[in-house]
Formats: sequence, structure tokens, C-alpha cells
Amino acid sequence: MELSDANLQTLTEYLKKTLDPDPAIRRPAEKFLESVEGNQNYPLLLLTLLEKSQDNVIKVCASVTFKNYIKRNWRIVEDEPNKICEADRVAIKANIVHLMLSSPEQMQKQLSDAISIIGREDFPQKWPDLLTEMVNRFQSGDFHVINGVLRTAHSLFKRYRHEFKSNELWTEIKLVLDAFALPLTNLFKATIELCSTHANDASALRILFSSLILISKLFYSLNFQDLPEFFEDNMETWMNNFHTLLTLDNKLLQTDDEEEAGLLELLKSQICDNAALYAQKYDEEFQRYLPRFVTAIWNLLVTTGQEVKYDLLVSNAIQFLASVCERPHYKNLFEDQNTLTSICEKVIVPNMEFRAADEEAFEDNSEEYIRRDLEGSDIDTRRRAACDLVRGLCKFFEGPVTGIFSGYVNSMLQEYAKNPSVNWKHKDAAIYLVTSLASKAQTQKHGITQANELVNLTEFFVNHILPDLKSANVNEFPVLKADGIKYIMIFRNQVPKEHLLVSIPLLINHLQAESIVVHTYAAHALERLFTMKGPNNATLFTAAEIAPFVEILLTNLFKALTLPGSSENEYIMKAIMRSFSLLQEAIIPYIPTLITQLTQKLLAVSKNPSKPHFNHYMFEAICLSIRITCKANPAAVVSFEEALFLVFTEILQNDVQVMSLLLETHKSDIPSSYMALFPHLLQPVLWERTGNIPALVRLLQAFLERGSNTIASAAADKIPGLLGVFQKLIASKANDHQGFYLLNSIIEHMPPESVDQYRKQIFILLFQRLQNSKTTKFIKSFLVFINLYCIKYGALALQEIFDGIQPKMFGMVLEKIIIPEIQKVSGNVEKKICAVGITKLLTECPPMMDTEYTKLWTPLLQSLIGLFELPEDDTIPDEEHFIDIEDTPGYQTAFSQLAFAGKKEHDPVGHMVNNPKIHLAQSLHKLSTACPGRVPSMVSTSLNADALQYLQGYLQAASVTLL
Amino acid sequence: MPTLEAPEERLRKFKYRGKDASMRRQQRMVVSLELRKAKKDEQALKRRNITDLSPNPSSEKLAKAVSLTLDEIVSRVNGTDPHLCFQATQAARKMLSQERNPALKLIVEAGLVPRLVEFLKSSLYPSLQFEAAWALTNIASGPSELTQAVVEGGAVQPLIELLSSPDVAVCEQAVWALGNIAGDSPELRDIVISSNAVPHLLALVSSTVSIPFLRNITWTLSNLCRYKNPYPCAKVVKQMLPVLFYLLQHHDTEILSDTCWALSYLTDGCNERIGQVVGTGVLPRLVELMKSSELSILTPSLRTVGNIVTGTDQQTQVAIDAGMLSVLPQLLSHPRSSIQKEAAWALSNVAAGPCQQIQQLITHGMLPPLVALLKNGEFKVQKEAVWTVANFTTGGTVDQLIQLVQSGVLEPLVNLLSVQDPKIVLIILDVISCILQAAEKLFKKEKLCLLLEELGGIDKIEALQLHENRQIGQTALNIIESHFFEVNDFAVERGAHISWWADQQ
Repeated sequence: MELSDANLQTLTEYLKKTLDPDPAIRRPAEKFLESVEGNQNYPLLLLTLLEKSQDNVIKVCASVTFKNYIKRNWRIVEDEPNKICEADRVAIKANIVHLMLSSPEQMQKQLSDAISIIGREDFPQKWPDLLTEMVNRFQSGDFHVINGVLRTAHSLFKRYRHEFKSNELWTEIKLVLDAFALPLTNLFKATIELCSTHANDASALRILFSSLILISKLFYSLNFQDLPEFFEDNMETWMNNFHTLLTLDNKLLQTDDEEEAGLLELLKSQICDNAALYAQKYDEEFQRYLPRFVTAIWNLLVTTGQEVKYDLLVSNAIQFLASVCERPHYKNLFEDQNTLTSICEKVIVPNMEFRAADEEAFEDNSEEYIRRDLEGSDIDTRRRAACDLVRGLCKFFEGPVTGIFSGYVNSMLQEYAKNPSVNWKHKDAAIYLVTSLASKAQTQKHGITQANELVNLTEFFVNHILPDLKSANVNEFPVLKADGIKYIMIFRNQVPKEHLLVSIPLLINHLQAESIVVHTYAAHALERLFTMKGPNNATLFTAAEIAPFVEILLTNLFKALTLPGSSENEYIMKAIMRSFSLLQEAIIPYIPTLITQLTQKLLAVSKNPSKPHFNHYMFEAICLSIRITCKANPAAVVSFEEALFLVFTEILQNDVQVMSLLLETHKSDIPSSYMALFPHLLQPVLWERTGNIPALVRLLQAFLERGSNTIASAAADKIPGLLGVFQKLIASKANDHQGFYLLNSIIEHMPPESVDQYRKQIFILLFQRLQNSKTTKFIKSFLVFINLYCIKYGALALQEIFDGIQPKMFGMVLEKIIIPEIQKVSGNVEKKICAVGITKLLTECPPMMDTEYTKLWTPLLQSLIGLFELPEDDTIPDEEHFIDIEDTPGYQTAFSQLAFAGKKEHDPVGHMVNNPKIHLAQSLHKLSTACPGRVPSMVSTSLNADALQYLQGYLQAASVTLL
Repeated sequence: MPTLEAPEERLRKFKYRGKDASMRRQQRMVVSLELRKAKKDEQALKRRNITDLSPNPSSEKLAKAVSLTLDEIVSRVNGTDPHLCFQATQAARKMLSQERNPALKLIVEAGLVPRLVEFLKSSLYPSLQFEAAWALTNIASGPSELTQAVVEGGAVQPLIELLSSPDVAVCEQAVWALGNIAGDSPELRDIVISSNAVPHLLALVSSTVSIPFLRNITWTLSNLCRYKNPYPCAKVVKQMLPVLFYLLQHHDTEILSDTCWALSYLTDGCNERIGQVVGTGVLPRLVELMKSSELSILTPSLRTVGNIVTGTDQQTQVAIDAGMLSVLPQLLSHPRSSIQKEAAWALSNVAAGPCQQIQQLITHGMLPPLVALLKNGEFKVQKEAVWTVANFTTGGTVDQLIQLVQSGVLEPLVNLLSVQDPKIVLIILDVISCILQAAEKLFKKEKLCLLLEELGGIDKIEALQLHENRQIGQTALNIIESHFFEVNDFAVERGAHISWWADQQ
């Protein structure tokens, strides 16, 4: 591609087409551009266009296309072709900074992004001039240019804030510091001077403050990894100026916007971060500046308003104070009673107030409100910051702070009492204050922090929480109701049981509240109370204690699911599940209604499953109701099937675990209704979700266990599909053990003739996987499988199938896999399978006695004795450490996501062999009677002494001798 | 400059937990890169002699000092009159001894070094030798290129010969000059060593020598032990060790300090080097010195013991047997944060040992001060304390982990999750994950999760899932998914090519 006018023209046309709303025009143009982007000069053509095109739209389009091109192609990936030729790379780097700086803002941003992408790859080694080029622009005096440089620098350096220390990283930082730190400092000073000369020029100030924000951000990045010598030497300059800026105000920079933070707020917020960084990491050096910052930040807080636009600044500033006040050597900055009072009064209390924005969220965005309030995702909120400050101050000033706040709490409660409907927010603040003051006591029960005995939680509960919950109107003052319920939830371990018991019917009553927050909190509180443990690890509340409320509890819980906004409320569903679990048989009378309601819910959500937690608890609840009912009356399973089956066939994806449970409950063969499902279970689409795999494998296992004969006779054409599932699973390092579970079930349960024709291919697949990626987990599963095969089909069959794939293969497997790796097998059942399998190989496989395989006989025996006697070899090669070790397989699916649908362990050799050591002794004895003299000689010539001793022990225990 | 920072190396060791115990100890690595200012409490590399009073009053009496210009000095030094030479040398020495802005560079540029070296050899005039040695001492105390000029001027050999001078002042000044040269760099140190200075220096150590002189000798010896890449050769170290052992029994603060520094350099390396020092039986005395109220003794003795416990388990055991663990608690709560940091670092390496050593750490009551440091220490100290906990959890038995948790370690660890240091955050996440796994084995996970929740740990870990550092985000996610989530979201496996059995046929 030449850098010609014709090409520029063509490119312009195609770029224009990429903006066309009609995909028939847009798509081909995009395709074309992609097809030519590999050509030399393509990026230069784009740069030419964005510089020289007459059409502004084309300029912007070219800049975006250029940035995306760089993003896709600049990185040189090892073993892949270099996608941009060297000459283009050099030309781009030579021109881009200049181009970026001379472009209007819209394009500047794109080019700045492109520079940081390039910089990430090439800087500093392959782009040594970049820094000098940037630094030189500082002198230009043109703040449009300077801000462009600063922005680019920020995008290049911000990674210093989150990357791990390494020689490479620090080399780069050192280089940057050498070239950048001094010019940046000078620029900082000059910019501040300009701010005072332009103090009356709003537009100039805005540009200058944008620079100051960027400079402060760069300061943060450059000082993040460690305190650089340069900045230590120049701390005076930076900190004095930061301090001045913190205290600065200029009417011209104030904004009318209530939501969006203005330049002043952004700058001060960043300065708070910078000061916090120094206070946290470079305390020794920063110590002498710190008191001034504490004062400045505190003053800042006192003078900052309630508007949302100040939220970030305020929460940063409070967090700064919170982190400083709990350090022993800064204690003195806070200990004055007036200071404390002032902080409590002017910083903490105002920021704990329930604001208009909170009220809006409570009513209109309750899900978000609950998430923030209940699940603690309120990290950046003012309330949270104020709470952290209370805790920080309590570390040294618990008494005084509690005293100050008690006064506040009382006066706020009095205000509320005067006129509840107007002053309810005062009570909210009072409850919040008590909660944050006392929540320290929560950890106290674990003996970690000291008790704040100054707060009497029970008294407050009785006097101020219970009355609200007892009021007849559950919809009055919903925020206070939510506060009260939350109080029970939080202090459930502190409030005595008798008081909690009193609150249970009240909570049940509040399940009917219209406010989503209130009924959700009520459900959640009940659920939490029902999980509490009393003595002897039993639940604190017994079924008998809750019995009087069973009917109303269940009714209200299900009714709550019909309230607007709560049709898939996971807290309510969880409370339902927990109630079942606690009440057990007490729910049986209600089962018909319950199961109808649950299945209706199931049917409804299955059309559009969107709340995984909700669904999970729903399945738990269904499992529980089956368990509870069928324990009392096994025949009831039929009625569940009637109720559930119709639904289940529709929603295969979610129900598999419940189905397994149902299927396993059948003692004999599979009902035909289940068989109709079987083909659907082999659908590839089901297996694409990793999360489905354990449950689906378990269901297929249940089919094989209960219905292998039916499958063999009526669904033989489905066997390839079954093996296809196996094939997919063993191809994945994460799921191969699931594949083996399935394969083992096939081997164990399917009639041999039905899988005959596939056997060899199964082994070939396993060998392919062994060659491609051999992991410890795979080996372990493989060993269990071949031994199970040996038990099921005989030792000779195993030898034949190996040698049928390739001559002498059997010997290789023995020598390279079984003998050296058998020690790694874990799990009692797994070990037993291997022991019995190997015993068979030793004693029931003629080729082991009289071919070249004979030399492996004693080593195999030795390894078997090792399996019995030596500790398990749990070493894992280093390179496998990144495979999730959690996945270590068991013979049975360890999977039990639904805790109440758990599967029992299964021992496929249990009926044949009780003690595998005795079994070995007996089998050896049998072998020795068949060929007298050979076994003792093989044993005595090359078995090591320890092993021999163990073996003699087995023989003695079995009361047999070798002939 | 040695530094405590070697996180890359440490993390690598940490990651392969339990796989190779010997890998877990943190060697004090030389990181050539430092963003920080040089440390302030380290031993002086070079020292200028700016004593106002001449240590040799006789020479002062013999000739009254004359004040001369540099030109006059140059011309007189190049003359043949010994007296004028002496006067000029003394004047030069005085210029070099000025407290402020000594004209080191000017004197070298004036070409005086070769003449000064000549004067070292004029054994007939000890006072001239003395002044010349002093002048060269001060030149060598300057920046590297000036030290280099002294060596290139041929000063080393004549200085070593002066070690046998009958004139004590001359001898002492020569010791000093050699110390400055050796302190410059491993290259110059090796020039001094290969010129056979060590036996002569060692011969000077005796019970009759004055304390100031002995201080000088000790300091010079310590400089001969300084630097790695390369280390001083093992043979020379072997010669020096008995003398260092002897000096370590002294009662003079400076001598003890410099001896300890020497030992700290010698132990700042591989296990063989550490073994050489441990083999001299020096540890009980070192541990005793760790109790010193003198910071100048405490710092290097602690550093040395800290270095030793980076060695093998056996070497560490010798330090433990010498009682280091009974001294460490008081050092962990020392008023100086630099001492706390160094003590915590030493502790972290004991914690990297086998569980028996971890047990001794517990028995000696190390957990409460450790938790106190995690809570209230300066950040650099907290970092070392976090490493200690990390090593502890890696090598500790389940019982020991329980004790660790019971000591209240989780609260400060959780608080430190908001620290602005990605590596520390990652390590804490790993520690939490490790403790959770242990709790799982004991069926105590629920209780631990509750505790973590109450400490605000879950909030913090959840927030860390969004950390810009991918490894941190992933680790946090794993913890939440495997320990705090009752239901995993369905994760769709992407890009797996499915080739169905049925399709193949």
C-alpha cells in the first residue's frame, strides 16, 4: 500500500462506510479494512488521514480505527508473525506524540490511548525517546499540550499502582524517575503559581486544575512502589503545596451540579489519597507533615456539604482520618476532648444521616439498597466511612467516644419521640450510631476485641427496637422497621434467647410488609435466627419452640413471594428452605400445599432462570420436602413424581440433582418415564455448562446403576452418545475425573456385550489423552479405571486389550504407569479397587507367569504391598500446581451442591472382597497350588525384606502358605 | 547496599509451599535497584580523619604547621628538601581535613598522589610518612574515582608495608587508609586482600594495642569482609574469623559494633558462608549482644543472627539453641521501628523452618508480639510480620495454625487487606485461603468464615475481586467461590472443541 492520494481516497470512502447504519454497507467495509490492515503503510495512511483530512468525521473515525488497530496488532506474540512491519512501527513512534498533542481533544484521547498501548509493549527499551519528548513539552507553556502529555504519562505509569515489584518494573520506574520527577516537580510549582496569577480567570483555572489533578495522580503512581529518593528530598515542596491546595477554595471552580464531582473535589480527593499513601507506607518520613494534613482534612470535612458530588471526597477524607487515628503514635492528635467532640459532632453524625438519596434507594432501588446495607458492598459510602472512623476512634478513646455518642443518641431519640412522623430520621441515625458503636462487641464473643460494655444492647433492644416492631401497622416508618429487624439480625448473638423468641412472631408478621426491604430483612432475620447454634451444636431454636408459628410462618413466607418485586427473592426462598430444615416432620401436614406452590414457582422461574441463588434454595427446599416426607412414608415418592415430573421434563438443565435423588430412591429398574428422558441428557448443549457437569454425571450414573439392562436392550443406539459424553469429559483437565466416573459406571453396570464393540476405542482415547497431557489427577483416575476393568472383565482381558492396541503395550503400562504411580492413588475405595485389580493381575493372568512380562511380577507385587503399607504419595509435579487441586477425584462424585441431596459412598468391590490383604494372600496361595514352587522363589529372590515381612504377615493372617 | 526486599524470590518460595522446605527461607538478596535513599543506620563505608588535634603531638612540635596555597604545596612537594616536603604535605593534609568542603578533588587533580605515595616509603621520616598516609586516607575517603586514584597511584603496597612500622601513629594511619580503600568496592577490597594485607592486619591485634587503634583495625577488617558479588575469598575469611571471634569478646562499643558488622557481611550469603561463621561458635555471644542497649551493637548483631537463620535448618537451630528466640520478643517491641523490622525479618525465617522450629517460636511467646506488630507496626514492619505469618502457615501443622488463629492474627491481617501493596495483599489472601483449608479439614470452616465475616474480611475480599492486579482478583474470587459461596454461578466453558464420538464414526 503506497502512501498515495488514491489510497487515502479509498480509505476515506471505506471509513465513511463503516459509519453507515445499514449493516449491508457497514459490514463489508469493516471486512475490507481488516483485510488490508496487514499491509505496510496502512497505519501511516490512517495517521495521515487523521491529521490532514478535511472532514472532521473522518478524522475522528481514523483515530478510533487507528487505536483499535494498535490494540489488536501492536503486541508481538511469540511464535506468531509480527503483524506490523518494523518501518511502520518506527514511523508511528516518531510521529504519534506530536500528532496526539496537536490534535483536538476528541482525537487526542484516542491517540493517547494508542500511545499507552504501544508504551506498554515498547517503553522503555524500544521507545527510549518517549520520555524526553514528553518532558520537553512541559516547557511549551501550552496547557492543552501539557495536559495531553500528563494524560499519556498517567496512562503509562498507572500500572505502577498494582503490579508486583520486579527488577524489570523497578528499572523502568527508576528510568522514569530520573527523567520525569524533576520536570514534574517544576511543572507542579509553576502550575500552582499560574493558578494565583489567573485566580480570576475561570477558564484558565479549569485547565490549570485539570493539570494539577493529573500531576497529583502521577505523584501517586510514582510514589506507589516505594518512596523514591527524589520525592523524599522534595517532600517539603510537594507536601506544602498539597496542603495549600487542600485548604484552597475558589468560587470560580465551584459547580452547580449536585451529583457530578467538580475539579476542586477531584483534586482534593486525590490529595487525600496521596496523603493516605504516605501516611500508610512512609510513616517515618511523613510524620512531621501528618498533623497538618489531619487538621486540613478535618476542616475540609467540617465545611463540605451533603451533596452527592462530595461523596468520594468525603469518604476518602474520612478514611484518611480513620486510618490515622488508630495508630498509637498519632493518638495525641485526637485525644483532646474538644477535638473528639468536634469530630463526632461535625464529621461522624452528619455523615450518618439518612439522606434523600438513601431514601430514594430504599424505595425505588431496594435490591441495590439491600446489597449495600446487608452485604456490605457499601465500601465507598459516607455512612460506611463514618462507621470505620467510629471504630478507629474507639480503639483508643472508647470511653469518651461512647460517652459523646450516648448523649447524641439520647437527644436524637428525644427528638423522634416529640414527633415521630417528622423526626423518624433522627431515630434512624440513633440506631445506626448504636450499631456502629457496638458492632465491635460482635467480635468480642470470639475473644478478639474487648467489649464495649458501655453500650447496653439488650436494653436498647427492649426500649427502642421492640416497640417499633410491635406496632400494629407493619407498613409504618418502613426505614425504622428495617433498622429494627437489622438490629436483631446483627446482634442476634448478644440479645438473650428469650428476647429473640419474642421477636420471632414479630418478624413473621413483617414478612407481610409492603416494603421490599422490610419483608426481605424479616425473611433474612428469620433465616439467620434458625441457623443459630445452641449448646451441643443443635440449633438454638428447636422445632418445638417454633411449632406454634408453623402455619403462619409458612403462609407468610410463601405470601411474601407474591409481593411486588419479590417473586424471586432469594432471602425469602432461603428462609423457606431453612424453615423446612429446622421444622422437619412438622411440615408434613402442609406438604401438599407447599409442593404445589414450589412446583408452580419452579415452572415459573424455569422459563427464564435469572437468579441462581433463588433457584438453588428452591431446589434445596424441594429436596428437603422429599427427604422429610419419604423418610416418614417411602411410598410418597410416587406423589412427588406426579407433582414434579411434568415440570422437570421441561427444565432439564436445573433439575438433574433432584432427579438423581428420585431415581436413586427406586429400588428396582428405571420407570419408563425416566427412560424417555435419557436421550435428552446426552444433548451436547447440556454439557457445555461446566456447572452442569457434576450433576449431569451423577444423573447418568444413576441411570446406569438402576437401568443398565433397560439401556442395553431398549436404548443401545444411545451408547455411542454416552461414550461421547465420556470423550468430551476426559479431554478436559478440569473434568476428566467426571469422565472417569461415567466410564466406571458404564464398566461396572452395563452388560459386557453391549459395550464390547467400543472397548478398544475407549482405551485408545485414554492413551491419546495420556500422551497429550498427563496429569497426576488423570493418572490416578486411569489407574482406578484399569483395575476396575480388570476386576470386571478379568486380568487376561486387560492384558489382551492393551496388547491388541500395540504389541508389548501391557508391559509398558505395568512398568511405566502401574508400578511407579500406584502409590499416588488416594481414597479407601479407590485403593481397594486397585489392590483387588492388581491381585488379579498377579494371580489370574497367565502371561505374567510365563512370558517376558514375568520379570515385572515381583515389582508389581512389591508396589502392591507398598500401596498397602506406605503412606500415600501426594507429591504433585511443580507444573501441575496451577491445576485446581480441589478437583482431585474420588471414585464417587464428590459433588453435592445441593447439600440435602447428597449421595452415599459406593464400593463396587465391597461384595467380593472384604480385606484386600487377606484376599491377596489367598489368591497367591491359589496360584502357588497351580504351579508349585514358582511363587515362593519369585517372592524370595527379588522382593525387598520389608515387603517380604509384610507379605508373610498377610499369609499368616489368612492362615495359608505358599507352596 | 544490602536490603531486606526480595519479594519476587520470596513469593516464588512461598508459592511452592511445602514442596521444598529449604526453598522457603528468604535469602537477603542484593537488589541492585533501590528507589529509596540509602539507609541511615548502616555502617560507614569510608571515613575521613578530621581530628583537629594531631594524634602525634611530636610531629606538631617538631615543625609548626604552615599555611600554604595549593601551588606552593605542589612546588614544595616536588622538591627534595624533606622539611619542605613535610611542611607541604602537612598543609595538604590540613586542607583535606577541613570539616567543610575539603579540597579532595583539587589535590588529586594537582597530581599530588604519586608524591604522597613516595613519601609513604620515606622510612627515615616517620612524621612525613604519617602526614602522607593521613592525606591519602582522606583522599581515599572521597568518591570512588578519588579512591581509585589513590590505588592507581600505587599506595596499597607501601601502606601495607607501613603496617609493620615501628611508629604506632604511622601504622594506625595506614590501617585507616587501607580501610577506606577496601570500603570502596569489591574490586578495590580484593586488591588490598591480594596484596596480602590481611595477615599483617591480624598481626596487629593484641591485648596491648590501644583501644582507638584496635577500633581502626576492626573497622578496616570489617571493610575487608564487606561486599558480595564477589565475596571476599573463603580462605581469607577463614584467616579473619578467629580474630573476629576474639574481638567479639571485647567490651568497647565501637569494636563490638564493627565486629558485628563484619560478621553480618560474612553471613549475608549462601549457606556455606553462613556455615563458616556459625562454625566458630560465635552464636551465643551474638545473641548476648542482641540484648545490648547500644543501637550500634544491637543493629549489626541482630542483622547477623537474622542472616544466619536464612541458612539451613541446622544453622537456624544453632541460633535457636543459642537463645535467639528468648531475645526476639523484646526486639519485636523495641521502640525503633528499624529494629522491629529486622527482628520480624529474622522471625519470618525461623517460621520458614520445619514445624519443630515453628513450635519453638510459639513456645517462646513470639505470637503476641507478632500480632502486636501486625496491628500497630509501621508498614515496613507489618510487611515483615505478614511474611512471618505466611511462612508460618506454609510450614505449620494444623495445631500450630489453630494457635496462630487463636492468637488473634486474623484481625490485623484482614485490616491489612486494604494496604496499598499488591504483593502483601496477595500473600494475605494466600494465608487466609490456607487457614480456611486447614479449618475445612477440622470441620471448623463455618466458624472461621463467621469470624472472617465479623472482622469485615468478606467485604474486603469481595472488593478485591475487582482489583486491577489480575492475580489478586483471581485469588480473591477463588476464596469467595470455594469458601463463601453456597452456590457457584454457572460458568460456561469456552472454546472447548467438542468432537462427538458419534460424529467420528
